[in-house]
Amino acid sequence: MRVLVIDPDPARAALVAEGLSGVEPLEVRHAAIFDETEAALFEPDVVVVAADSPDRDTLESLREASMANPRPVVMFVDRSEPGLAEEAVRAGVAAYVVDGLAANRVRAVLEVAMSRFQLMNQLRQDLAKAKADLASRKTVERAKALLMTERGLGEDQAYRLLRKLSMDTGRPLGAVSADLLAFAGVLKGEPS
Amino acid sequence: MSDARPLKLGFIPLNDAAAMIVAQEKGFFAAEGLAVTLSREVSWATIRDKVAVGALDGAHMLAPLALAMTSGASGLDPTPLVAPLALGLNGPAITLASRLAAAAGPGTGAEGLARLIARRRAEDASRITLAVVFPFSAHNYLLRDWLAAAGVDPDRDIRLTVAPPSRMTELLSGGVIEGFCATEPWNAVAVAAGAGVLAVRGSQLWPRMPDKVFAVTEAWASAHTETLQALSRAMIRGAAWADEPGNRGDLAALLAQPGYVGADAELIAASLPDIVFHAEGANAPLPVHAGWLLAQMARWGHIAASTDIPDLAGRVYRPDLYDAAARALGLPAAALSDTLEGDGEGRRFGLTAALRYAADAPMSRLPRT
Repeated sequence: MRVLVIDPDPARAALVAEGLSGVEPLEVRHAAIFDETEAALFEPDVVVVAADSPDRDTLESLREASMANPRPVVMFVDRSEPGLAEEAVRAGVAAYVVDGLAANRVRAVLEVAMSRFQLMNQLRQDLAKAKADLASRKTVERAKALLMTERGLGEDQAYRLLRKLSMDTGRPLGAVSADLLAFAGVLKGEPS
Repeated sequence: MSDARPLKLGFIPLNDAAAMIVAQEKGFFAAEGLAVTLSREVSWATIRDKVAVGALDGAHMLAPLALAMTSGASGLDPTPLVAPLALGLNGPAITLASRLAAAAGPGTGAEGLARLIARRRAEDASRITLAVVFPFSAHNYLLRDWLAAAGVDPDRDIRLTVAPPSRMTELLSGGVIEGFCATEPWNAVAVAAGAGVLAVRGSQLWPRMPDKVFAVTEAWASAHTETLQALSRAMIRGAAWADEPGNRGDLAALLAQPGYVGADAELIAASLPDIVFHAEGANAPLPVHAGWLLAQMARWGHIAASTDIPDLAGRVYRPDLYDAAARALGLPAAALSDTLEGDGEGRRFGLTAALRYAADAPMSRLPRT
C-alpha cells in the first residue's frame, strides 16, 4: 500500500505509518507541499491531506479531471470545526480523519476511503457508459431512418443493412451509423 | 447588535480582500457595533466547506464559486448563497513564462500563443500547462475566453491545472506550469521574481470584470438581516477607504502583513492601480456580472445547460441588499444594466440572451442555436 501524506506537520505522517504497521508492503511518503510530477511517479493508492493545506484545491481539481488518474483523498480535520469534515465528504473527499484519532483506527479509515472511492468511480463509469450507449442508439435510429427514406427500405431491411455494414467492416453498429450520417451530409452539400 | 458571539469572516490572501481587512483594521466594523474575527484561509475548498457548515458566517469568495454552490455544481447538494456586495472589479491577470510571452507578442490577443501551441502539437511536444486558482473562478473563465478567441481549445490543446495563487511564482520558476491567471499581487510577485511576464490584464479584455464577492448563506442572510446590513455598510466604507489614492501606501503596508496577504508591500502597492475597490458603483452586485459568469460556466459545460441564468444570477447577486446599505451611507443605488461590453468583436453580453451567448461563443460545449 502506497500512501502520500500532504501536511506541513510530519507528525501526522508518522501517525499514519504507525497505524498501518503490519500492512505489507507499505510505503508512506510525507511531503509538506503537493508536487504533481512526484505524485504521478509515486502512484499512491491513497492521498491523505491536511484540511489546512493550500493544496486542497489542486487535489480536488485533479480528482475531477477525467484525464488525471484519480485517487481517493482522505482529509485530516481539526476537531475544533464541527461539521467541516462531513461537508468535505459531501464535496468529494473520500473520508476523513479527525485530529487526535488513535493510530489503530487509521487503517480502517483508509480502507473505507479506498472502497468508497472505487464504488463512486464505478458508478461514474457506469453513468458515462449508459450515456454513450444512449447516444449510440440514437445514432443508429437516425441512420436507419435515413436509409428508409433514401433507399425506400422497411425498418427491418434498413437495420439488417446496417448490421451487414458493421460485420463487413468489423466496426460497431454506432460507428458505421455515424459514418453513414456524416457521408450523407457531405453528399447533400452540408458543411462537414 | 443582537449577536453576542464575534462574527467570523474568512478570506484568501489577495489584494481584493482589502474591503474586509480595512473594515476590521480601520474600525468600520467596530463603528457598526460589530465584533468581527477575520480568518485567513488557505484554499477555496475550505472557504466553501466552512461557509456551508456555518464555521464561517461569511467570506471573501470567488463569484463563480458562490454561483456553483447555489446551483449544486460544486459539492453534491446545493447550498444557496447570497452576495450583498462585490468586493471589487478587475482582479485577474494572466502571467506567462518569458518564452511564451515572447511568442504571444505585444497585443492583448492570444494568437501568437496559439501559433506556438499549434507548432508544439505538430512536433508532438508535451502540452503547455497553465494554472488557474480554482475551477469555479473568474480566472478560469477569463483564461478560457482569451484562449478560445484565438482558436485554442483549453481542454484539448493545453493542460489546465489548479494551484494556490501564492505558489504560482514557485511553480512557474520550476517549470511545472508555463503560465497562470490569478488576482494580484501574485502576478506582480511572479514578474518581480523574474519568473514570468504579465501578458494581459482582465480589464483589457472585459473592462470592469467581476471577480470576488462577499457571500453568506441564504439562511444566514434571512436570520441576520440587520447584521448583514451593518457588515455591508462597514465593508463598503472599507472599500471606499481602499480606493482613496492618499491611502494606498497605508493599504499596501496593511495588506503586506503576514496575517493578511503576506507579500512585499512595494509589490502590493505596484499591483493596486488596476483593481477598482469602490469607485463608480464597483461594490454593487450586478446580476449582469453573475449572468456573464454563468454563461461562461454553461459554455464550458460546468453547469447544466438547462440552468435559468437570469433567475440564478438574481437569486445570488442581490442589488436590493446593496441598495439598502448604500442608501444608509448616502451612496447612489446600483446602476442596473442588462448588458456588458467587452473589448473587441463578439464581446457584448446580454443577460436576457445569456444562454444563446454561451452557445454561440467560440468552442462552446453547448449545441449551437
